[in-house]
Amino acid sequence: MNNLKKQVLIFQLNGEPVEIFADPAESLLTVLREKLGLYGTKAGCGKGECGACTVLLDDRAVNSCLVPAGKVQGRKVETIENLSQGGKVHMIQEEFVEKGAVQCGFCSPGMVMSAYALLKENPQPNPEQVKVAISGNLCRCSGYKQIEEAILSAAERLKN
Amino acid sequence: MSYLIASSLDEVLTSLRDGSGKARVVAGGTDLYLQDLPYGLVDLSCLKGTTVIEQEDDLISLGSAVTHTAAASSPLVLSRARALAEGCEVIGSPQIRNIGTIGGNVVNAAPAADAAVALVGLGAEAVIIDIEGNIRQEAVENLYWEYNRSLIDSTREVMISLQFKPCMDGEGSAFTRFAARRALALPMVNAAARVKLENGLVKEIRLVAAPVNPAPTRLVKTEELVIGKPVNDQTISMVERSAAEEVEVRGSLLRCSARYRLHLVGVLVSRALKTAAERAMGQGKAGE
Repeated sequence: MNNLKKQVLIFQLNGEPVEIFADPAESLLTVLREKLGLYGTKAGCGKGECGACTVLLDDRAVNSCLVPAGKVQGRKVETIENLSQGGKVHMIQEEFVEKGAVQCGFCSPGMVMSAYALLKENPQPNPEQVKVAISGNLCRCSGYKQIEEAILSAAERLKN
Repeated sequence: MSYLIASSLDEVLTSLRDGSGKARVVAGGTDLYLQDLPYGLVDLSCLKGTTVIEQEDDLISLGSAVTHTAAASSPLVLSRARALAEGCEVIGSPQIRNIGTIGGNVVNAAPAADAAVALVGLGAEAVIIDIEGNIRQEAVENLYWEYNRSLIDSTREVMISLQFKPCMDGEGSAFTRFAARRALALPMVNAAARVKLENGLVKEIRLVAAPVNPAPTRLVKTEELVIGKPVNDQTISMVERSAAEEVEVRGSLLRCSARYRLHLVGVLVSRALKTAAERAMGQGKAGE
């Protein structure tokens, strides 16, 4: 990589400010995995079709493979690593386990992030809204039913 | 590929000038970023003015970097330009809609881009500035050169905004599409309609179908047939027949056969008109 192209990027990552020296044309996915060592975000198709690389940019789900790192300057990025706090996994993740919504597990981080983005914006989604929220995430094991149930069940827990 | 996040329109124009044809504009980048481009990219999506949705005088104006999500959820778009909200809410996936922009949807020049088809249905014009500072305005359907190639030269021109007249009382718009799946799928056909009724009869109408040509295409013959008529079952059947007769389509391995596409053009255009007319008559406004 040509060092001349690199610049300082400052953004908020999982609640903490980070400052890195990177090529702004590189994908956010590459920066997260290779520069910052956050391997929870999966590299899938690399074309915005599978959703395995989903992270939140300013609270909205995006395909990190399609976001040039330069775009996150001054903004807020959240990855799957931020969901477990104090050694305890997030309530959405607990519901994924509870409902058996994990088969091979490759799509899980992306699915969980899409669910997380949905519940942030709409804590009480109906089943159709859940389907739309994960419509950009492919599960190659085709275990969608359990995933939908897990998200609805997480929403139910938010109510209480 | 170098990548600049521009902080002002001046910076965009200066970078393009300095690039002498080797730098080009990018907005959301969901299409462009996947191509192996030799260019320097100048990103305009963080400019303040390019993400604004507003109504000024008799025009709704959307900045070219308004995301599909923002357009689809804007109260102004939902109430006064429903076709655009419907076009934007079916593009790609939620993740794509959160980054992809309406300006990019037009300049990328795909023949059946959902937002672009809705914009042509609404009669939108693009406001374009070039590196010398000249500003021009062009109807969206006139911005297509050939399949997947825009007449906007992104190495020296920047689309700033898209403007159209809001649908006021007696007017309605709608967008329809059919695809193999409900997400992440190219439309086999999509269509948009905008109609103005006066005393229950069609006063003004725009019917658009795609992919029929490189650009979203107005069905002018069918439009003429409908002027002065009520939008009843008879008119809807006539539109279904006429729309399919008016276009010539190709079959495509990616989308569907020519025969099926012709059928879909008739069905989707007439459905769009029916819904637009219902909205014009004030039915199914809120909560639908």
